[in-house]
This record gives sequence, C-alpha cells and structure tokens, in this order.
Amino acid sequence: MKIFIDPPNSLILFDLVERFGHEPLSVMATIQERVDNLEIDMPPMNVTLDDVKKGLDYAGIEVPSGIRGRLAVWGPLIDNAEAAIIMEDAPYSFGCVGCHRTNLLVEFLVRKRGIPTLEINYPHEEGEARNMVIKVKEFLEGLQ
Amino acid sequence: MKRETRLIVISPLSEITPDQITRAVYAMGHEVTVKETCYGALLEGPPETVKEVMDDLKKMDPLGIYSKIRGFPLGDPNRCRAQHGSRPGFSQLQREWQDLALVEKGLQCALRGEEAEEDDDRAPMPVKELQRICEEVE
Repeated sequence: MKIFIDPPNSLILFDLVERFGHEPLSVMATIQERVDNLEIDMPPMNVTLDDVKKGLDYAGIEVPSGIRGRLAVWGPLIDNAEAAIIMEDAPYSFGCVGCHRTNLLVEFLVRKRGIPTLEINYPHEEGEARNMVIKVKEFLEGLQ
Repeated sequence: MKRETRLIVISPLSEITPDQITRAVYAMGHEVTVKETCYGALLEGPPETVKEVMDDLKKMDPLGIYSKIRGFPLGDPNRCRAQHGSRPGFSQLQREWQDLALVEKGLQCALRGEEAEEDDDRAPMPVKELQRICEEVE
C-alpha cells in the first residue's frame, strides 16, 4: 500500500515503511522526478510556476507562499495515499528547515481524507523508540 | 533512463563501515555508481538494480543499515558541497543518524514480538487536574 509519511523526508519512517513491505510516499521521490524531468533551474527553489497555482488546492490565497509551495509538492502525495503515518515533534520539522504551519495543515489534510492513520511521537529515548517501532510495525502489518 | 539515488546510512551501533559498503557494492558487479560518505554511502543506478543492491547490502547487517531515496543525483551542482551547493540538509540527516541507535533497539524489540506499552499522554485531562492548574494560576 502507498503510505504517506510525515515528515515527508524522514529517513526513519521511509526505511521502516519499506522494511515492513509498503511503498512510502516521500517528498524525495517527487523532487527526484522534478529534477530529472522538469529541469528545476531556479535553485534553491523546488517548485515551478504551475505549483504555485496547485498549492491553492490545499491552502487559501492568504496563506504564506512558503506553506503553499510546500503543499503544492506534499498535497498530491496525501491525495494518493492509502494510509498515513504522522510522526509529531520531529526536531527538524520546526526551525530553519521546517514549517510548523505546514505541519498542522498536513495533519488536517490527512485527517480530512479519513484514511487509516497512525500518530506517533519522535523518539527521544529507548522506551519511546521501542513503542514507536512496535506501533509502526503493528500498523503496517495490519493494513490489507 | 530512469535513475534512483539512495542514501545508505549506517546506524551508530553497527560495526559495518562505509568502506565495507562501497567495497561490497563494487564486488556485486552491478552497473551502479557508489560514493562513500561519512554516514554510509550514496548509491545511484536504475531503480531495479538499486533495489537489488540494497536488498543484498541489508543482509550484511539487517538492523544496522538504513536507506532512503535522495531527490538529487550524485554530484548535482545545486546540492554538492564541493561546488558550494545551496541546499542545506545535513543537520536533519545528522540528527536522524544519531537516533538510528534508538530505532535499531526498537526494531530488535519489535522483531522479538514485544508489545507496545500504553502511553497515556493522549488521554483527556481529568477535570480535577484542570481545576488544580487553574487554581494555581489564579
């Protein structure tokens, strides 16, 4: 099954989803397609002019452009997902490389779709990691 | 031809070295490109071959080798530090690399068939607890 992972660039979630036999929907694969086919020639931007319009499908015009740009790339992944794993409080999803408003909107869009969703916290110690991995394993094995 | 680029990241607990990874890939004799890095290696080639190589590599240390796709190809001028690439990203990878030690231990527990402990941090707050906090604030 196609599993949307949040954060969509997480190494931990990507590997776990693949390890338990599903297809992770990640932002890296989308970027790979864009780099190879669309010739993104405006570094450091990863979006095209069409994406700016596409972002409006997921967020209103008054929403900051950074959020709309992210959602233009992540939104179609949520649309294609058959299930989702949301890992909250990942240390890199807030700050210079993250955007908390986007995270909130992504959670909202995933819940709105009504697909099977697992919500877990980013592990900071062994006990949390143990719980997190066991929950991910049970969730992925339980999907048909 | 379609390409797939993969980051191969070795858990801090693993005894495998990046050098062993690259040598193993060369020894397999597939038409892929591999580049040794501080955290593991970068692997690039046709998607089917990359998958085959990854499956074989993971056999070296099933719980110690992790991977994910990388959007940019090897040596991409927009990304490569050697050419002053403009995209930061190592801070995230560094953090996740450190935490792979935790994930590895979690995987050991999961594969032993252990069950998750109930965490009650998502349970609704009892009214009395809320009342106590309100009184403290007042």
